[in-house]
Amino acid sequence: MKDITLGRYYPGDSIVHRMDARFKFFISIAMMIGIFFLTGVLPFAVYAIFLMVLIILTRIPLKQIFLSLKPILFIIVFAFVINLFSYQGTELWSLGRLTITYEGLYSGLRMAARLSLLIITSSVFLTLTTTPLNVADAMESIMKPLQKIGFPAHEISMMMSIALRFVPNLMEETDKIMKAQSSRGAKYDTGGVVARARGLVSILVPLFVSCFRRAEELAIAMEARCYNGAQGRTKLNVMKAVRPDYIMTGVCLLVLAVVLFLEFVRF
Amino acid sequence: MKPFIELKNVFFEYKLNGPDNLKAVNDVSMTVIKGSHVAVLGRNGSGKSTLARLIAGLEQPGSGTITVGGYEHDGGAASLEIRRKCGIVFQNPDNQIIGTTVEEDVAFGPENLGVPREEMIVRIDDALKAVGLTEKKKSAPHLLSGGQKQKLAIAGILAMDPECFILDEATSMLDPSARKDFIALVTSLVKERNMTVINITHDMEEAVLSDHVYIMSEGTIVRHGHPAEVFDDIDLLKAQGLDVPVHMDIAQKVSDLTGRARTPLADFTREGAAEDIIRMCKGISCLKTTEGDSTGKYNGRVCEEKTHETVLDVSELSYTYSRDTVFANDALSEVSMSIRRGELFGVIGQTGSGKSTLVQHFNGLIKPQSGKVTVLGFDTSRKDGIREIRKHAGLLFQYPEHQLFEETVYKDIAFGPKCLGMDEDSIHASVMNALEIVGLGEEYASKSPFELSGGQKRRVAIAGIIAMEPEILILDEPAAGLDPAGREDILRFVNDLADSGTTVVLVSHNMDDIAKMADRVLVLKGGKVMSCTSPEELFSENDVSEFGISLPVITEFMMFMRSFVPGLDVSGFTADACAESIVSVLSDGKVVSA
Repeated sequence: MKDITLGRYYPGDSIVHRMDARFKFFISIAMMIGIFFLTGVLPFAVYAIFLMVLIILTRIPLKQIFLSLKPILFIIVFAFVINLFSYQGTELWSLGRLTITYEGLYSGLRMAARLSLLIITSSVFLTLTTTPLNVADAMESIMKPLQKIGFPAHEISMMMSIALRFVPNLMEETDKIMKAQSSRGAKYDTGGVVARARGLVSILVPLFVSCFRRAEELAIAMEARCYNGAQGRTKLNVMKAVRPDYIMTGVCLLVLAVVLFLEFVRF
Repeated sequence: MKPFIELKNVFFEYKLNGPDNLKAVNDVSMTVIKGSHVAVLGRNGSGKSTLARLIAGLEQPGSGTITVGGYEHDGGAASLEIRRKCGIVFQNPDNQIIGTTVEEDVAFGPENLGVPREEMIVRIDDALKAVGLTEKKKSAPHLLSGGQKQKLAIAGILAMDPECFILDEATSMLDPSARKDFIALVTSLVKERNMTVINITHDMEEAVLSDHVYIMSEGTIVRHGHPAEVFDDIDLLKAQGLDVPVHMDIAQKVSDLTGRARTPLADFTREGAAEDIIRMCKGISCLKTTEGDSTGKYNGRVCEEKTHETVLDVSELSYTYSRDTVFANDALSEVSMSIRRGELFGVIGQTGSGKSTLVQHFNGLIKPQSGKVTVLGFDTSRKDGIREIRKHAGLLFQYPEHQLFEETVYKDIAFGPKCLGMDEDSIHASVMNALEIVGLGEEYASKSPFELSGGQKRRVAIAGIIAMEPEILILDEPAAGLDPAGREDILRFVNDLADSGTTVVLVSHNMDDIAKMADRVLVLKGGKVMSCTSPEELFSENDVSEFGISLPVITEFMMFMRSFVPGLDVSGFTADACAESIVSVLSDGKVVSA
């Protein structure tokens, strides 16, 4: 249980890994908006090549990238199939009332490509190359201006980082409680719905109780170390943009501009 | 000299649901001079932890005044300053780490104090160096050992430039070697920086390091003074449910046997106790009484290989965590052993030696990767036998009270029997029987397990396994984290269960408990079997430190005695047995039974 990693962060020391998380956050949002405008083969191809280069830079195995597509594979296939059948035009193949057209095929492929690129983009910039903690810090930094109008940016970020901190503990604890209840004869994988639900209660109740206990003890431990909210607080990890961050951002935005240019100015 | 900490007539109450409030601290006054080392002892629930929180500025006294380092508690800015001056280390290592990396956790205090970043970096490096965690700077806290986590807590306090450490049972969840390490660290830091220490503890070995002890009971201080003077009152220690340091306990027993009084205040140190014991024995020709046989055990069970069948057999068992990955970690290698019916079988070894992995094989929670585990004739690697095995081999993890979940004690204890498919009548009988065995009256059956004290919850959890009427009972540190009285109670009924025929497997870090109770002991180190023999043989001549374990405290003292008394038998593990063997060697005449 000790070697669990949070999210799907893939450790590395590439230029993408080292980038300021706030910049990565902005770049991926800009890129994702851009992708929605793409229709042509050429812009798609150029963008895909750009992503490929980034992936090679990060040294993340392609297998990891494909794994990130897995959760939405069903949606991609579904969108592809719906598109496939719902266009009128040059008939390619037909069976009864179902007709596949060239236009349908093209639109289906476009949709699948768009969704895949969206996910790969966010994976390469955020989930695979940025630790959850950095994401939380970036969020706090981005939300900071909202603090003036009473938005609890610091509190939210503190909550996120504490939650992240305790995930391994809770996983270990869940494992332990399950083993303890199994030793008392509980079964979680067999029996009817009622038996299983009962089994679940025997895990969830102790887990909740333990969460409350931990929360209480942690609150006191935080107070003992003079925690008093965001007021007068300094931070060890200040996010500071350096030149490579600006350069990378420039490069990415340039690529985006080229791709959009290819999209809108057809030759 | 002006006191560093001063409490004047402090009261503190917790609000309860009923009409009466719980008086946690009741008219406590104390003064602590800067640089002194204070120990606070007392049963669980005696108000020690509340006192610690009051001093650290985490609770406001109901009445009375608390002054720390010239600041008086006001619940505002002064309290904040007091919190900075008094760093507190809590019992549970996990629940006081806030940062997601070691470095960030140390930074938490300075961040709150608004320390500028450049200075903060210096403070973090200094603090981590002082506790020896520099190499772990970027590690995630869950990858640290318990001992390292508590050292991290110390580093987090050091970075706030404190003047006082308050340890609230900070070592009670650590194993003995981590415990020694931690106390050594604190002692050296304190000396270096002229800091004050308030150590709330159950461990007498820690308490003797102090220069002033307070004994608390029901929110009041019943006795305080220099430990030599307070601990000399053995009756008081016993009445307060505290441990008596072994050498003093033996000296008292020798005094009972010889009919001569102990020299007041002389027995505080081992040297003093040895001298006093020898003096009391001089010229004695006849002992007053000896009751029963002196095997040095709670009870001498005889479980011979010939007459007692093997109930659990492990052969050539190996287990590797995360096999075939870079994280691969050999937990057990080629372990062979067997347990006979009716014996109390001890399993000892350092943290990480494979004890827990081994016992999880005993009821099929872990399937053998290679080798074979047979429990009551069932092979644990086969799926069809698991149910029978779970029925007859009950396993209880550390801190089992964390698995309680039902509304009433009765229902919780009945959970296991119900899962086994017992009928209503036999469930009722076994639940009631289990309650009686763990020493809880019938009136507890209808209570909620969550309103009980820590020790009572522990008993309910143990009863939950006993109610399944297992033939083999496997207990992992059943008494960990309890106060001495609570621990004695639990070990007593575990021993009774073994006497009444249940086979008991006891995993423990406490060598004294194991030596006293176990018939045979398995020593694991790095997943390998180092020894499997009786405690008498294990602890008599061997240099056990090469097995990664230490001698029982009582045996250590007996070996020390042997340097004055050649030919002394050191195989006794109770104060009674040790006193008798000392007297029988030293007295001129023979041991005469009355």
